Amino acid sequence: MRQMSAMRILVAIGVAALLVTTSIAATAQQKVLRTQFRTAETGFDPQQRDDRYSVGIMENIFEPMLTYDYLARPVRLVPLTATEVPKPDENGTRYTFKLRPGILFADDAAFNGNKRELVASDIEYSIKRFRDPVNRSPYEWLFENKLVGLDELTAQAKKSGKFDYAAKIEGIRVVDKYTISFKLKEPDYNFLYVLALPNVVPVAREVIEKYGSNSNAHPVGTGPYLLKEWTPRFKIVLERNPNFRGFTLNEQFADPKDEWDQRAIADLRGKKLPLLDRIEIYPIEEEQPRFLAFMNGDHDVMLETPFAFINQVLPNGKLSDSLAKKGVRAFKEAQPEITYDAFNVDPMKSPTIGGYEPDKVALRRAMVLAYDNEQEVRIARKGQALAAQSMVPPGVVGYDPLFRVEANQHDPVRAKALLDMFGYVDKDGDGYREKPDGSLLTLNYKYNARNDENRQLAELFVKGMNEVGLRVTSLPVQFSDLLRDRKVGKYEIGQSAWIADYPDAQNFLQLLYGPHTDQSNDARFRLPAFDRLYEKSLTIPDSPERNALYREMNRLIAAYAPWRMGVHRVFNHLMYPWVKGFKKHPILYTNYMYLDLDVAARDKAQGSR
Amino acid sequence: MAAYIIRRLWQMIPTLAGVILLIFFLFTYFGGDPALVLAGKISNPEQIENIRKQLGVDRSYAYQLWVFVQQVFTFDFGRSWSTNEEVSKIILTRVGPTLTIMIPVLVIETILAIVLAIGVAYVRGTLTDRTIMIICTVAMSISFLVYIIVFQWLFGFILGWFPVQGWSESFWKNLFTYAPLPIMLAVFVGLAPQLRLYRSFFLEEINQDYVRTARAKGVPENVIMRKHVLRNAMIPILTNIGIYIPGLFVGSFLLEVFFSIPGLGREVVTAVNRSDFPVIKAITVYLAMITMLVNLAVDVMYKFVDPRVQLK
Repeated sequence: MRQMSAMRILVAIGVAALLVTTSIAATAQQKVLRTQFRTAETGFDPQQRDDRYSVGIMENIFEPMLTYDYLARPVRLVPLTATEVPKPDENGTRYTFKLRPGILFADDAAFNGNKRELVASDIEYSIKRFRDPVNRSPYEWLFENKLVGLDELTAQAKKSGKFDYAAKIEGIRVVDKYTISFKLKEPDYNFLYVLALPNVVPVAREVIEKYGSNSNAHPVGTGPYLLKEWTPRFKIVLERNPNFRGFTLNEQFADPKDEWDQRAIADLRGKKLPLLDRIEIYPIEEEQPRFLAFMNGDHDVMLETPFAFINQVLPNGKLSDSLAKKGVRAFKEAQPEITYDAFNVDPMKSPTIGGYEPDKVALRRAMVLAYDNEQEVRIARKGQALAAQSMVPPGVVGYDPLFRVEANQHDPVRAKALLDMFGYVDKDGDGYREKPDGSLLTLNYKYNARNDENRQLAELFVKGMNEVGLRVTSLPVQFSDLLRDRKVGKYEIGQSAWIADYPDAQNFLQLLYGPHTDQSNDARFRLPAFDRLYEKSLTIPDSPERNALYREMNRLIAAYAPWRMGVHRVFNHLMYPWVKGFKKHPILYTNYMYLDLDVAARDKAQGSR
Repeated sequence: MAAYIIRRLWQMIPTLAGVILLIFFLFTYFGGDPALVLAGKISNPEQIENIRKQLGVDRSYAYQLWVFVQQVFTFDFGRSWSTNEEVSKIILTRVGPTLTIMIPVLVIETILAIVLAIGVAYVRGTLTDRTIMIICTVAMSISFLVYIIVFQWLFGFILGWFPVQGWSESFWKNLFTYAPLPIMLAVFVGLAPQLRLYRSFFLEEINQDYVRTARAKGVPENVIMRKHVLRNAMIPILTNIGIYIPGLFVGSFLLEVFFSIPGLGREVVTAVNRSDFPVIKAITVYLAMITMLVNLAVDVMYKFVDPRVQLK
């Protein structure tokens, strides 16, 4: 009897030891990616947030009906929760989607212990949330004047104080459990891109109602990860969503000559994704600690290497020897974005440079000619940018690599001649030009005071203008104040940038569409010829005909100069060799669901951390 | 003393009213329209009006002021405009990390400054005194930012003695792993001006007649310094510490930003960058209240340090 007990104890100890060992081994094998954001997030309610970093997290928690293929360049839409990418019907005014059955939301207390399947009415509810005034959605414009009956629902909600989610409208029709059909007021061939935005994703109504005003802290989606831990502006932890169905890498659109594609295929082929168990993201806004956290090995990936350290990382455009020795790789990406200086063209708000009279246009064009964009690329951007020739950046549908107009090139001699011709001459001999009527000419340049890079750009602008005899005062302001001032037209020249929401030129050209004044047209540019071309471009699908319209619009911009085109920035993303499957997507900010981690290689390189 | 404390507390009410009015005036007239900032990339005037309505900034100034007063007295400043988090929760979760850095800084800096100051005051005019004063002057003329950048690079990255940045859930890990470098930096930078100031306090006392009398009576030097000079110099030192204490609660935003410490200083910077007025207003009012309470505490402490002080 005693022997039996002793045997049982020994077996129990053995089993316990085995369990402990297995558990330790499992913990050791956990694939935990540690990385960083250069700006802090604000929250994770997809209909309430639009900043790039919050949206970057949401890309992993929620799923739109469509998304972009990971490897395809130029970017390509592929179905995600939908069964296929639908074809536009009724001249681009109807789009019908079928959802894949059996897609589950992550578990949450709001579901009372039941599994919750994604259905078409979730899409209906979520799109209506963009127009519910209570949500103050920054992406409300996506569905404004777009879907039949939706504007009326919003107007009614503003009157009654309550949005009627139960109301049926022609613009969003739930056909059956898995089918939803959208009816647009006007043709829009970019509507599919809108439905691929990481914000245009289904949320479960039960979750939103349970958490109310805390919905930003309780994102529950159908995506590969769930929010495990969140210390706002300090640490975000994502862990695998056990309800996620998994997927494999699509190799169909890979470029056989692209080394990143080939390496990603070699790393990921046949594996069920996602592979990472946990992702820890640390928002670090200062450049030095962000850089050192990567260099120290605290972080495995550094997106957007700070420009201040670019000469250390990539001296002469080549990865430094010390980093190359460690096996670090650099992914270079020209982002689908443009930086620019907006000229306030509204003569009522900016009488010195605003207006369409020849002398005002000449002054703006002279400023464009006086600025040396190549110098900006060389000095301020440390070679990590491409001088912009048009509003449309590379990688965006409608981009024309051959587009180039003389009016956008640096030519101080022509600038001076233009100013002389229209009467902007130095009448009092102080070295600066006066207005044609002889009065003092001083221009104000507002810029974001937040970092040195912007200050350098402001200095370059002032220097360029001084060289042609224009007196400019640079005014550093808080970013939020700059946004506000641009929106209400309280500025003359203002620094700005735009990054693609979706990869079509229309997303950029709308920034100068007259009726968008007081919305996104900060230059307050109102040119009927431009507006007509823009409106016509909306009714045409991607085609040489539409590209010709885009080209014509860019010519008008060069002629009237409501903007001084800046650059398309190039970012370098660094990663250690144990990070597998990396390729940066131009529209999506993160790629965690495609990454793998060689934990043993990391442990070997770093010792036990 | 109780009567004195009650009277001082009573006097805080008009001061607080002034603070409330001043903050309200500054934010209302110079803060601009928050709806324009929160409206997102593309928005129309109607949407901006909707945001104004939701934030309550479309109401009359009298109503907005009344709401603000209620917020101050209920300690409920509502929600952050940029993240929708409860402002009280932001403050409560952030004050811990800030104090984990700033309390050791205050304690170490004060002790070191007093010990060194009394030492150099005692050897005033000697080479040691002059050398230390020159070092202090040089140390003070370099920006805090430069110290942070150099120390982080050298001790964190090159030598690897401390983590470059970071914070954890564990108080002890924070105190002994992540906090030492920021604490060392803050002490290093704060010590020089404190040392110079306290030295002057001690010198003033050392030159007093009662010190000369004590020496003439043969009282040992260490007793003179400890019992007479130190005790008398404590009044201005306490005043100086009192001025310093409210600042503890917002910490050094530079340290918090560079070392990724999730403290209040970093929140203030983020709130300013995002024009998040509820957060800025709450922290400003709360700092004003702490300043008043600390001033009262320092006045009461004078009595314990120097019994000749009468609290009237």
